[in-house]
Parts: sequence; C-alpha cells; structure tokens
Amino acid sequence: MKSNAKPILVIGGGIAGMTAAVEAAEVGYDVILVEKEAYLGGRVVQMNRYFPKMCPPSCGFEINVRRIRQNPRITVYTLSDVEEISGQAGDFKAVLRVKPKYLTGKYPVDVSVVEKLTGERNNDFNYGMDRTKGLYFPHDMAYPHGYVIDRETLSDTDAGVLQGSMPDDAIDWEMTDEKIKVKIGAVIIAAGWKPFDATKLDTLGYGQYQNVVTNVMMERMASNNGPTGGEITRPSDGRKAMNVAFVQCAGSRDENHLPYCSAVCCMASLKQARYLRDKNENSKTTVFYIDIRTIGRLEKFYYDMLDDANISFVKGKVAAISENPDSKNLILDVEDTITRENNHPEFELVVLATGMAPNSINIKFPSELLLNDYGFIEGATNIEGIYSAGCSKHPCDVSSTTKDATAAALKAIQCLIGGEE
Amino acid sequence: MQDTVGEKTKESPEAPVVEEKEIAVRIEPDLEFIRALSMQGGDLFKKCMQCGTCSATCSLSPDSKPFPSKEMAWAAWGMKEKLLRDPDVWLCFHCNDCSTKCPRGARPGDVLSAVRQESVINHSFPRFLGRMVNKPQFIPLLLGIPVLLLGLALFLRDPIGEKLNLSNFTGDRIIFNYSNMFPHWLINGFFLIISMIALIAILIGIKRFWRELRAMSGSNGRAGPAKSLISSALVSLKNILIHKNFDKCTTVHSRYISHMFVFFGFMALSMVTLWVISSGFNPLIKTDFVYPFGFWSPWKVLANLGGLALLGGLALMIRDRFRDNEHTSTGSYFDWTLISTLLIVTITGFITEILHYVRLEPHRHLVYFAHLVFICALILYLPYSKFAHLVYRTVAMIYAEYSGRNVASLRSKEIQYSG
Repeated sequence: MKSNAKPILVIGGGIAGMTAAVEAAEVGYDVILVEKEAYLGGRVVQMNRYFPKMCPPSCGFEINVRRIRQNPRITVYTLSDVEEISGQAGDFKAVLRVKPKYLTGKYPVDVSVVEKLTGERNNDFNYGMDRTKGLYFPHDMAYPHGYVIDRETLSDTDAGVLQGSMPDDAIDWEMTDEKIKVKIGAVIIAAGWKPFDATKLDTLGYGQYQNVVTNVMMERMASNNGPTGGEITRPSDGRKAMNVAFVQCAGSRDENHLPYCSAVCCMASLKQARYLRDKNENSKTTVFYIDIRTIGRLEKFYYDMLDDANISFVKGKVAAISENPDSKNLILDVEDTITRENNHPEFELVVLATGMAPNSINIKFPSELLLNDYGFIEGATNIEGIYSAGCSKHPCDVSSTTKDATAAALKAIQCLIGGEE
Repeated sequence: MQDTVGEKTKESPEAPVVEEKEIAVRIEPDLEFIRALSMQGGDLFKKCMQCGTCSATCSLSPDSKPFPSKEMAWAAWGMKEKLLRDPDVWLCFHCNDCSTKCPRGARPGDVLSAVRQESVINHSFPRFLGRMVNKPQFIPLLLGIPVLLLGLALFLRDPIGEKLNLSNFTGDRIIFNYSNMFPHWLINGFFLIISMIALIAILIGIKRFWRELRAMSGSNGRAGPAKSLISSALVSLKNILIHKNFDKCTTVHSRYISHMFVFFGFMALSMVTLWVISSGFNPLIKTDFVYPFGFWSPWKVLANLGGLALLGGLALMIRDRFRDNEHTSTGSYFDWTLISTLLIVTITGFITEILHYVRLEPHRHLVYFAHLVFICALILYLPYSKFAHLVYRTVAMIYAEYSGRNVASLRSKEIQYSG
C-alpha cells in the first residue's frame, strides 16, 4: 500500500518543512523537499538560542539533518522553487526549477581562493550586517555542507581566478535553470515567514539611525558565528551596548502595518534581554510593551525576569525615536500608561521587536490558493491535497511549528491513502 | 451597571486609610453618555487598547498626565464627570496626528471632538436648548425662531418708530437702501438684544465650566496658580492670534491656513460692525457717516476683504473634510452646522451687497432678510453650537496657563542639538 503511494512535496526547508519531511519519510512515504536557499534550516538556524530553555538550535538541527541524510525516501532540492502544480489530490504534477550551482562537486573548493576574489555581496544570513565574497560558505551548520557561488557577485576577473584555482571540470559556467517534472500525491506548504520590513516604521528610525536594530539582527549579533562573534555591540562604534531598549509591537497589532500579534516577539525580547545580562555585565535593559504575551509555561520566564533589578518593564508603545547626532544615542517618545507620563528616555541601542510576515508564494496552483486576511494560508487549504504548516499558517514558535508540521504530514499521508482507494 | 476595580480591603485598625482611598476606584459608567459620544461619531473609542501612542505622538500634549490616552480610557468607561471637567479636551486642536498613528483606528482626535460637543451641551444654559441645537430634526424650529423675531421687529418697526420718534434718517436720500426695511436704530437694537441674550447664556455656561476646572485643580493638589490670570489671558490671546497650536499640526497643516482665514475674516467683519454701530457715540469717529459706504471706503474694503477671507477659509475647510477620509475628520453634525451657517451668512451677505450695487430691485430684501436670519441664528445659538468653542477653548487655554498645565513637552524631535 505504502509502496505505491506517490511522494509528498514539501515546499520550504525550514524547521516546519524538515519536520514534515522526516515524519512522513520515517513512516515509509517518499518526500521531495524543496528549499529556495542554498541550505536547509530556514530562520531557525539564524537564531542564537531557543526560548524558554535557552539551548542553541544547532543540536536539534543536527539531529534533523542526520534524519534527512540517512533516509533514502527524502530527496532534497536546494536553491530551488516550485513553479507549477497541476492535477488533483493524490495525482498532482509539479514543475520544480533548480537554479544552477556551477560547482560540479567533483573536486573540493580551495579555501584560499576566496581571499583573492574582489566582488562582495550583503550577507543575508546575517541580515546584511556583514558581507561575503561571490564564493561563500552559507554558515557553519549548512546542509548541504559546501561552498556556494553567487554568479551575480562574481566579476569576470573573479570567475577567471576561481576557474584557474581548480581543475577544468570543477566548475561549469554553462549551467542554467533546470526544470524537473515530478509526480506527487500531496503538497505541504511550509514556506515560512520573513521579518516585517522595519523601514516601513517611519517614526522608529530603522535604516536611518545606525543603533536601531531589529530582533532578528540581535539574534545574529548574539550568535558566536554571527557578524560580531557573539558580542552585542552598537553598530555605530562597536562598543558594548550597556543600556538597551526593546520596543515591543514594532509594527505589530497595528492596522497601519501588521494588524496581528506574532505571538513570539515578547518571548524573543525577554530571551534577548537574557543574552544582554549574560554577555554585557551590568548592562541595563528596558522593555516597552503594550501587553507582555507569555502564555502557559512561558509565563515563568517573564516572572523570573521581573525580579532582575537591571531589567525594567514600561507599559506603553513607543511612538517615535530620534537620534542624538553626537553620541548616536537614541531618544524614545513613549507614554508610561501606568503613571500617565510622557517619557523621553535615552538608550545606546534600540531593538525593534518586529513581527512575522508570511512569505509570499509564487506557484501556479490548479485553482487559486486562498489566503486569509493577513496573507497566511489556512491549514487545510481550499485545494484538496494541499496543506500548510508552521508559519505559512500563522505566526508561531518552534515547538508549535514542529507539532503543526507533524500534523500536516499526517494530513498528507491520509490524502495519499485516500487517493489510492 | 456598576463595576468596582480593585477590592476595597476590609477596614482593620492598622490599615492606613489614605492608601485605601487610592486603591479603590469606583467606576459608574454613564451609559447614556457613552451612547451620546457614539452618536457624535466618536464610537471608535471601544477599540482603544491603551498603548499610549496617541499621547506620545501628540505635539500639544504636556508630559505630565498627557492627553488623549487617559480620555480614551475615561470615554470607554463612561466617566462623564471626569471628561466634562477636563480642560485637556479643549487643548486638543483636532489635527488627528493621533488618529493617523493609532494602531487600532480608534481615532482619539474624533473622540475628543465628540467630548467637546458633549461639554458644550452639558455646560449650556438652558441645557435643553443645547440638546435641540445639535439635533437635525429641530432645524425648522431653530430657523423659525429668528424668522419670527425678525418678522416681529418688522411688524413693530413703524409703531415703535413713531412712538419713540425714531425716523429712518437716510431713507429718503438714497433710493436703493436696505435701511428702508431695517432702519439702523432697529437693526442695532435688535441685534443688541439678541447678543445680550447669547452673552448671558454663554456666561452662565462659562461660570459652570470654570467652577469645575477650579474644583479639579483643588483635587490635583496644586499649591497655587502658576501665573496671574491677566498674564495667562495675554499669553493665551497671543497664542490664539498667531495660531500657535494649529501650526504644530502635521497631518493636515492646511487647517492652520483655513482657520486663520476664517478667524481673521470673522474678526474683520466683527470689527467693522462694532465700529459702525458705535458711530453714534464713538468720539474716535466723525459722525457724518454716509450710508451706505462707497465701495472704496476703508470700512467697506475691510469688510469685503474679511468676507473674502471667510469664504476662502471655509472653502478650504470643506475641501479638507472631503479630501482624505483616512486621515482627516469628515466632520460631525456639530461641525457642519457651524461651517454651513457661516457659509450661508457669507454668501447671502455678498449677494445682498451685489444686488445693491447692480441696483436690482426684485427679491433683494428677501436675500437681506435671509442674511439677517442666519446671523441671528449664529449669535443666538452660539452658546449651544460649535461656535461656543471660541469661548470654551479660550477659557481652557487661559486656565492651562493659569494652572501651569501648559508646559512644553520635551519631545525628542524638538530637542535642539548643538551639532
């Protein structure tokens, strides 16, 4: 019965897609996992720690990678996307587009050649806080574990240098987009999320003042493999940030921007306040919030922090930020709605707790895929045989995502079995 | 419906009485008041989540007890007493910077506008007239009263004139003259009486308002006034003249221009009127005024310029209200009655003038009569309409100076750096 079933197509190789893939494959179903980046792991591998346990995502990620690598039922396509899905539940056809990798993989890359290249690109993995060459290693834990070429960044001279450092058949510049047609039985959309574009928050100074950063940038700064080597510093002068503000609901729960609550930003900021307490001794942190939304077992994390004299909580949404051009410090305009005072405190670093926006999907479906008011996809979509999981469905944390992805895998398996009968 | 926030602890000998009073806040929502606010277009306050963005955004709000976030909470809780005696609602110039930034679309600017209307109605004397003036179904009655009064004046013109030996002294000299219809003694006397009635009503309203303001300052525990009443008044008048607060509005800055035009247009017309009325006894004017003035007489020029300013300002105000519903306010009935009355007064005034110059006999007295009816309505209903803002707002501004409430905020964008 199992052996006849068509594979499940999982779109997105983040924590949701990886989980759905291994859960389905480990009970005997074939899975095709498609990821648009050069590596698996998505947003999760960019995080420094998980809340509330404060363990690094790398251990869980390592286990998932091993489960994928060891399982012959999972086929992984990186640097790829899905162009079209046609047919019906149990009997879909999909067209995958695999971008050229140029490296044939027959020979290892000579690491010293990277130094000789001149063209540079913004390192998306570190949210543009540092730069890489046109030949780069995405990150320490990257799977597939290898160098990646960004053709647009490489100048012609760079390409020549690269070619010269390796045997002739190590690189194939003639490679182009490859179209792969596959037959599949069910689809799981795990396209994930992107951080809300903080430059749209015109009064909060992101993109205008150097020392205003976002919460995802903070994760990279706190990471040992991040742009600062794990130091939480001010981008303007590289000094350790000793007086930091967290601006909660930066664009969230705001009908002018993201009308919904992203559910994770409160915990993320509390977690990042802990980074600061651990890394920058005696640093002071102030969290400006509308409500602290730490539900269930997460509430203890918040209550424990209330006892910390160096962390203060002010109830009030920050309305505007401006910069002192001399010190590059930031001045906030915020009403303390408990004491009813308009305050204008000054900070060395401001972290905007921006929310999660759904990744847009550019796939031709058999019929139009309906999104909800906020741009997310309902778990059981309007097209039979196509399901969504994790942050494609709604903003959620990692532990809910893995549960959700397992549920989606079960849905897809049910569809495959139903389709056969 | 009653609700209690904070449990009142049972009295024990050790319990400090003072603190207990602080904890227990008894909220008695005035549902009628909530309903009234909702009807004025301020029904969105229920969406407020008390994030404080409005207060932190407002460029007029002081740092201590800023508005309008506290007013939003009071509105949602139906705390009528607190809102009606709150001078802050009158320090808001409805620029809607807060409504633009509000993450929930609760439109604090419009809510404060609705509170101001309730404040006018609730302080007015007699109060039933305040309610009537702000309900559309009473328009026929409200316009009928000036028509009747002016009709009565016309009816009694000759008997009174003969009895008091007041004649129409310019009537025979100039043919095309409106004073054939309303001789000067009649029109001056009539509007003097109307103005007196309105003045008494508004003074009673202001007395009520001021008493409440004083009562509130007592509860704030402020030691004494920050400035003398006279210097407070002078500062406030200066700020009104230069439209200081309007100038701070960023969402719709054209309101600064439009209100300036309407304000100074109206001032010019009022000045000309008062000057002319006083000609009989004003030692500064030679008494040989010849009515009507020639087109290039300085008084006529000032009046015409004032009328044009009024017309232009009103046109700009109307355009702003239709232009961008997203950010500006489309205006309530309270708002539109004042704008339309002023507009009708201005237009009928110009038509009257034009008909005079073109020497066109038919119907010109009818237009003139309509002009007077609307002026009468404007003055008579001043204490009950949005027009009362010129008094309430002035008083609240003076009070804010007097009580030390009007302290500039240290908002970050206004900090001047040496660099």
